[in-house]
Amino acid sequence: MNSAAAGSDDLFVRVQRENFSLDQELDRVRSRSTRIGGIATFLGVARDRSRGRDVDRITFEHYEGMAQKKLREIRERALQDFDILELLIIHRYGEISIGENIVLIIAGAEHRAEAFRACQWAIDELKQITPIWKLERTPDGEVWVEEHP
Amino acid sequence: MTKMMAGNQPALSLNVANGAKVKDVIAAIEAGYPHIGELIHKKKVLVSVNQEIAHEDTIVHASDEVALLPPFAGGAGHPESREGDHA
Repeated sequence: MNSAAAGSDDLFVRVQRENFSLDQELDRVRSRSTRIGGIATFLGVARDRSRGRDVDRITFEHYEGMAQKKLREIRERALQDFDILELLIIHRYGEISIGENIVLIIAGAEHRAEAFRACQWAIDELKQITPIWKLERTPDGEVWVEEHP
Repeated sequence: MTKMMAGNQPALSLNVANGAKVKDVIAAIEAGYPHIGELIHKKKVLVSVNQEIAHEDTIVHASDEVALLPPFAGGAGHPESREGDHA
């Protein structure tokens, strides 16, 4: 059974300004299949230090349309290439304060190993191919960041 | 970044023939915005057509959406050059 093939996929790939609830998103993934036995999550949050400088605010911009398209591709490839039952990706845009949520990946699988693998692959791939840009505000001014994780 | 270099314009208006290639679009950009042209040549800025990364020989049609993409937050480099990176 490929539970993820059935509709309502839009909720599983989102680029949004507003914050998200981990509990709500975990339930969304969990409710996709009773075969899920392991769920791996990655949550990226805004930190106050970057390349040796203090950061007090981060702004994310994205290319509307292409960002969503790339995230959908990542989800589809993960569902195809890993033994998982569901994958959810949410990325926020706009101004984000220190400590706030930025990005969430949730992978649900029968067993933990594939959930971990898919989750790690998805966040790495997101950072490589998704047109999202990060502007950090530091005491020296604002800097567009090209990060190498 | 590219927006700032183009005088804060979110969109550029360029004259290229229908059916021209991406390299013709780049040449038109270079004429008006040499700094951006240089970044494209150094692959610091990628060109997309209809929301897919394009090559110099990609054909551009009248209704196509062409965009200039500065380096992504994750350190994209050139996505097309990452063959074999897949899990």
